[in-house]
Amino acid sequence: MPEREPDTLADLIIRCGMEMVEEVEVFTATGTGISADLKRSVIGVAEVSRHHALGIRVIDRGHTGTSGTDYPSRWEECLRAAIASARLTGAQKWEGLPEPAPLRGDIPSSDPDLVPPEPALICRLIDGMLEGASAHEAEVTGGGAGAGISEVRLANSHGIRYAREQTHVSVSLEAINGQSTGYEFGTSVFLSDIDPMKVGEQAAFFASHSVDGVEIRTGEYDIILSPIAAASLLSHVLLPALSGRNVKAGRSYLADKLGEECMDESLSIYDDPFAPGGIGCTAWDAEGMPAKRFDFVKNGVLECFAYDLKTAYRYDEVSTASAVRSGAGGAPVIGVHNLVIDGERSAIDDEPAIYIHDVVGAHTANQLTGDFSVEVSNPIRVEGGEFGEPVRKAMYAGNVFEMLRETGGLGSENRVVGRMILPAIRLNKQHIIGN
Amino acid sequence: MISMTAPRYFDIRCVRGEVTHIDIDNGVVESAGTSFFDSAVIRALGAKGWGVATLDSYDPSSSPEQDAALASALKVSAVTGERVDLAPATHTILPVPPLREDPADVDLDEKTRLLSEIEQSARIPSVVSTRARYSESMIDVIFMDSSGNEASYGITRSGFSVLAVASRNGVMQMGQEREHSITGFSLRHQQEMGRKAAETAVALLDAGSIKGGEMRAVLDPELAGVFAHEAVGHASEGDLVKDGASVLKGKIGEVIGSELVTIVDDPGLPEYGFEPVDAEGVSVKRTEIIKNGVLRSYLHSRETLAAVGDGDAGHARAEGGATPLVRMSNTFIESGDTDMDEIMECCRNGILLKGSRGGQVDTGRGIFQFNAEYGYLIRDGESAGMVKDVSLSGEILRTLHSIVMVGRDKKMHPGFCGKGGQSVPVSDGAPHILLYDAMVGGHA
Repeated sequence: MPEREPDTLADLIIRCGMEMVEEVEVFTATGTGISADLKRSVIGVAEVSRHHALGIRVIDRGHTGTSGTDYPSRWEECLRAAIASARLTGAQKWEGLPEPAPLRGDIPSSDPDLVPPEPALICRLIDGMLEGASAHEAEVTGGGAGAGISEVRLANSHGIRYAREQTHVSVSLEAINGQSTGYEFGTSVFLSDIDPMKVGEQAAFFASHSVDGVEIRTGEYDIILSPIAAASLLSHVLLPALSGRNVKAGRSYLADKLGEECMDESLSIYDDPFAPGGIGCTAWDAEGMPAKRFDFVKNGVLECFAYDLKTAYRYDEVSTASAVRSGAGGAPVIGVHNLVIDGERSAIDDEPAIYIHDVVGAHTANQLTGDFSVEVSNPIRVEGGEFGEPVRKAMYAGNVFEMLRETGGLGSENRVVGRMILPAIRLNKQHIIGN
Repeated sequence: MISMTAPRYFDIRCVRGEVTHIDIDNGVVESAGTSFFDSAVIRALGAKGWGVATLDSYDPSSSPEQDAALASALKVSAVTGERVDLAPATHTILPVPPLREDPADVDLDEKTRLLSEIEQSARIPSVVSTRARYSESMIDVIFMDSSGNEASYGITRSGFSVLAVASRNGVMQMGQEREHSITGFSLRHQQEMGRKAAETAVALLDAGSIKGGEMRAVLDPELAGVFAHEAVGHASEGDLVKDGASVLKGKIGEVIGSELVTIVDDPGLPEYGFEPVDAEGVSVKRTEIIKNGVLRSYLHSRETLAAVGDGDAGHARAEGGATPLVRMSNTFIESGDTDMDEIMECCRNGILLKGSRGGQVDTGRGIFQFNAEYGYLIRDGESAGMVKDVSLSGEILRTLHSIVMVGRDKKMHPGFCGKGGQSVPVSDGAPHILLYDAMVGGHA
């Protein structure tokens, strides 16, 4: 789809808005989807959806106002609310919304195989998961599959008229054997990235393999966090600490560490809006800035924080094109597109360790200090690249920032988990609370 | 696939409203304003299971739109394979509690000024960052089904949170206070909440850490309420029981905990999780999940009541125009008859856990985890040093037997609960309780 197209509703809103304020930005998203939920191993609910989103941002003499609605025909009400909102917010240094700029045109964000999203596709995905799950002794308790397509548009009073088509597909399966549970999922822009058989097989594997787990004594252990477990902890602690807004507001542990080696020297962390397979791939951010790859951490050294235009203007920083649509009413706020955890890869499961597939309660971690204590899911002893004895129950207590200083290696395979792309991570001498 | 021309049953739930927010960060009004939503969920029972259409921009007065939505829901139901039946239900709607002061009558400038006072009061020595946020939702719900039942109501929820970050010698800690209500505008005379958040943040700068392990633990009413919600409430949800994903399946009538324990969910209580009628148009009622240690009831929708039995329908809830799920509303442990002094004395040596940073449960495995905001060591029955970043995890069935004392000081706390990608307002509550052999996590 071309990046520039006329947009009648946006043009109308901009024209009306410009009679009252200095700048106007209009975001719209329209889409359809289909999904089905499993009740045990049969489909119990099937759903079709139609969604609309309209977000308006106005800027007048440094005052920014926003409003949103899922009923685009109420745009006038929405525009009035955005202008009223601007009257209330504090005036900040502001140097203007972006002008149109050259964009990368080779960022695939939709898959023709998912257009239109069909019930037959959802059934095939579910059948694939159930077939995969049959490889192990476990009962399916739930799960589902879904697919959808959206058209996203951004326009502003400086002439930007960007549009892209986005598809998504997702599968998940939950399984149980006695009181041992297993969960797996997959999500992507592209159907070919999804392997429903493997998702089903892995969910059933973890449920069946974790039966009759043995007790573990409280102590220090080498562990391997799966990409899912690592992403759960990092997304609740590391991502907020990398936000320029939290840095400037005095709410980031990393605020005074720019230029310092604050992580293992083998680690690099970057946001790559063009990363193959990432679900946040885009040529432009939520404010229309040309998206770009940039390093947060390079070889353990903290190099940069994420900024949107508003925060960058206010604090004399440079926007990293990190705006995403997750603020109140769909307003742009600082986020990441595809956060990649990278570094030297090795066979991290050769030496003995406790593998942790997921954690329960990652969102209860202390966002400010990085301290956490969580329950672990499917802990399994691993050695020589093979899963061994399951562990019955354990807590894992630690600190995310300390953890990143002493990694024992990164696994060889990357996995997409939400807006993160990362491998399994080995961590030595971690505190496990058992009996 | 099986196709049919008319659904066995259908219902339509339209939700229209507006959300207002104010965000004050370090003295600056970062954002403030109103957004609007308008959506509908149309459910149709086909030959087997549910077909659902969730639609933004739905016009409930348009017959062609309703016909098209129903046809679309019915069409997609053809892929379902599970026969769904619905239990009979009553359809009485409760009155929504009156507002002491309607937030709609207070202009945004005044709301901003009051919130700003709360945020300013958090600025005490050692505090380096303050943030206060206000949110208010006013929604109108219209429900109708193919059996001729109709319900409509409007409800306003509002509240605020204030966060303070303290820093000294490179160490940072935070304190947070929040208040949410269905009974009216709640920003007046709340300045002390900002100061309280700040004092917690400053006090935590000197707090110690614990190594973690098994110990006696006293849970304050907020955290004990989260225990009732996470450890028992979710596991009693009829959809999880039906699908074999709850350790409470098949245990109705069994003693599953201490006889001191009675746990209830009541959507009709005028607390933050209040529902005048559930998302299927069904009357809400008090459901005793556990009575004196015996599992008595599951929480149900009409579908899960028909499939599982043993409990009450009226517990289906939905975020906005999303598909109804079996959910908790106002969940609590009933008060016992023990004074706090006796609880501390009986604990002797252990930990007092206060406040909540949230929790999570694996109902199939029967394992829960939740985090306190902070705690105090208990030595010789007295509160000793403050500790930070303490959590509690455990096995549901074992932990319910470990409750050895239940206080008489029940208090409810508002919050939000996530399930199936939907977040709904809830309240949890309890008196102080004493647990023996609690698995406490910490990072020393």
